[in-house]
Amino acid sequence: MTITQVFYDGIQRVKAAPAILIGIFLATLILALPQGLILRDMLRAHLGDSLAAEAVATGVNFNWWQEFSAQAKGLGATFSPTIIGFAAVLDNISDLLDNRSLTTAVAGITVIYLAVWTFLLGGTLDRYARNRPIRTAGFFAAAGIYFFRFLRLAIINLAIYAFMMGVVHSWLFDNLYEGWIRDLNEERTAFFLRTLLYVVFVSGLVICNIVLDYAKIRTVVEDRRSMIGATLAGFRFVVRHARRVIGLYFLNSLVFIGILASYAIFAPSVGGVGGSMWWGFLISQAYILARLWIKLVFLSSQTALFQAELAHAGYTAAPLPIAPDSPAAEAIAGKTPRQ
Amino acid sequence: MREYLLARGEAFLSRPPEDWGWITVTKIELPATENSAAINLTSDARYIAPDDDNKDDETVLSVLLPEQVEPGETLQVEIEWKSKIPRTFSRTGVVGDFFFIAQWFPKIGVLETSGWNCHQFHVGTEFYADYGVYDVRVTVPKGWIVGATGVRQSLENNSDGTSTHQYVQKDVHDFAWTTSPNFIERIERFEHESLPDVEMRLLLQPEHEGQTERHFRATRTTLARYGEWFGAYPYTQLTIVDPAWQSGAGGMEYPTLFTAGTSWLAPSKVTRPEGVTIHEAGHQFWYGLIGNNEFEYAWLDEGLNTFSTAKAIEAEDLPNYHSARFFGGFLPYVFQDIPRSRATDGNRLSGYRTAARSDAQSTPTFQYWPGTGGAISYNKTALWLHTLERHLGWENVQKILSTFFSRFKFRHPLPQDFFATANEVANADLDWFFDQVHRSSNVFDYGIQQIGSRPQGGRGFSGDREPIFADRGNNEQFQTDVVVRRYGEAIFPVDILVTFTNGEEVRETWDGVARWKLFTYQRAAQILQAEVDPDSVLLLDLNRTNNSKTMKPMTSIATTKWMLKWMTWLQDVMLTYAFFV
Repeated sequence: MTITQVFYDGIQRVKAAPAILIGIFLATLILALPQGLILRDMLRAHLGDSLAAEAVATGVNFNWWQEFSAQAKGLGATFSPTIIGFAAVLDNISDLLDNRSLTTAVAGITVIYLAVWTFLLGGTLDRYARNRPIRTAGFFAAAGIYFFRFLRLAIINLAIYAFMMGVVHSWLFDNLYEGWIRDLNEERTAFFLRTLLYVVFVSGLVICNIVLDYAKIRTVVEDRRSMIGATLAGFRFVVRHARRVIGLYFLNSLVFIGILASYAIFAPSVGGVGGSMWWGFLISQAYILARLWIKLVFLSSQTALFQAELAHAGYTAAPLPIAPDSPAAEAIAGKTPRQ
Repeated sequence: MREYLLARGEAFLSRPPEDWGWITVTKIELPATENSAAINLTSDARYIAPDDDNKDDETVLSVLLPEQVEPGETLQVEIEWKSKIPRTFSRTGVVGDFFFIAQWFPKIGVLETSGWNCHQFHVGTEFYADYGVYDVRVTVPKGWIVGATGVRQSLENNSDGTSTHQYVQKDVHDFAWTTSPNFIERIERFEHESLPDVEMRLLLQPEHEGQTERHFRATRTTLARYGEWFGAYPYTQLTIVDPAWQSGAGGMEYPTLFTAGTSWLAPSKVTRPEGVTIHEAGHQFWYGLIGNNEFEYAWLDEGLNTFSTAKAIEAEDLPNYHSARFFGGFLPYVFQDIPRSRATDGNRLSGYRTAARSDAQSTPTFQYWPGTGGAISYNKTALWLHTLERHLGWENVQKILSTFFSRFKFRHPLPQDFFATANEVANADLDWFFDQVHRSSNVFDYGIQQIGSRPQGGRGFSGDREPIFADRGNNEQFQTDVVVRRYGEAIFPVDILVTFTNGEEVRETWDGVARWKLFTYQRAAQILQAEVDPDSVLLLDLNRTNNSKTMKPMTSIATTKWMLKWMTWLQDVMLTYAFFV
């Protein structure tokens, strides 16, 4: 299979299991909703019955915003203009690449979200690997089986990414970059140097990401129990099929960038209330859905590539994990002989 | 500098020893005259610390003359010194091949009626010096471009591969210069029907070449607006220095020369470089010509200039939107939905809000709590001047400022000079206002505490045995109560606008002295809304949100709108970090 065919296969696998995409999207929305309601209460308490709310509703009341920010704490402190439209995307990627820490409240919900992903990942990969319906019970059974393996893998994940963010990032941007620019007095050159280091750093992250993705895929496809073994196996696969692995990742990344570019064009501005408010929210959620879709395509196409190289399409070492019926149900169905 | 350690900690001073600069006076001498031999006073010099008795401070040198100098008498003193240029710090120094040289020579204190006024160096303040004539020769590598206070008188190429540039300027109180081989030099002429011509010399970084016109336009705006409003710029030349990246030299004023500041990527809808250029060019008036003591009354130049800058930006109608910078601060993003207003953003209300109670403005600037001087000097003054503009009208405030300018240019006015001028020109005693905004750290905060209407006449207790609550009022007439409250300590007369459901509006005036006041109305309609200070006269009001109440608030829908936007941002945060699983 060519890389393009593998990529297309990945898309088909995601398309064939829309419930996964919808489920993860709903999880993303539902996790954000309580925090949103808390923030809304903060805004409501500050605005009260003020006439200022009218300008807040119909556009931006920047004076009110600054007044709110001056007294805001916790989640309220994250309510800044960078939440508007495409600025949110730039802000978040920029914060990640510049290694800025999240506020405690947001970090907490993000950790919960990552835990949810870790749980759903087993079922998701199992479904994509089998490439046939496994139904809800099969999905959650697989999710349950692989959750604790992936939790162990998460420790390796954490160590690798902590090293990347804590040591490599610090070395690149605090030591190397600061040394390069110490006597530099041209911003343009500094920008290009920093961009170069972003490319180097992101490349490092991507390599880690690819290895760990294939570790997860091999865990599911080959029913691996050792997460150290899976990580090493993932690494071996990436090294031995580097060209195709990177080519596929690049193809996925292009689509990811295309989604970001589309949102840069169509991201809703501040807008007013009523129809425009909901229309803007719908566009934003379409963007979130597209981000989730491409994340799943990354996983499914990489699964397809692994199977194409080392196994065959739809192969998994473990049988479909189906939980047995309860003893009572089995008795009723006559499956268990009476003693 | 030790006061800054209080607020910023040791990290503030963490730099290699070789990065620091210094000035050492090597010789102080009264030269020989016809009647006496030269007198060397170097060994008589002693460090003093008039501000805080800090024994480690070596920034003020005192030397007694052998004889008293009588009024009208002239004395010649020769001072030799060595100065090491630091790696840029507090807007002076070198980075790469860009040099900005300021505060580089020992300055003479200012002799005032009460004696010498000479302060130690303070990181949080600027400077103070007397007017004089500067004739300076600067020798740099040949081919390097020099910008300096004044006008170049000569240029000599030396045999050792250097060039000596001579700059001369009279009636200025400081001298700064810059040099770099990379400057692009552009010259344009400022011409105006009622103001003198000025040669504008722009020394631009090559990477900012595309912003040439933006710098000139902002400088032209300043010379025109400030000239029309306050008085003419009297010198023939004005040098605009676009400082190099990382030089830390941006946004600073010196006589007939200033540093602007911009970025390689500078969106046209953001007033940078315009804002900083107008502000620093404006300092030619408020600082350069009005030579107030910046150690003690920085608000007199910074505050008046912040107010004037915002006024000029508004008058010029420059595109002015909120922006943010991402990816190490390199990539700008313009929020086209968020225009910045003169009243709040131009006067920097948000900065003042965080430091409003920090110090009374009348406290000497060098004694402000470190880090809050800007909010008290720049922001608060701009806000109270704009409040005064809305209270008295622009014509009055413009006349106050122009009168103050014409009376005190080339002098060292005191705060009381400004207040006296204001009272005289406005033909009113404004001390009640200055007492609060200048001599106190009290804050202004008026608000509507509650509003409500009820059927007129019938509410109360009735019944024979047990009182019961009854509502037997006339449903066609309503009694409306509006309670206005003074939440802050400071006092200012305010208007109250009450609107009824039938569209009727009632405007009240309250002296704002009591802690609260009840306004009562009998109308055929119920109250719709009430607002204190509906014209936003009192720009110092820290909390405008509480200035109004309505019976039909849009709070619910407004907060839902922003909740949805914030949720999308949060989802994006979560998805961004989902990269790691």
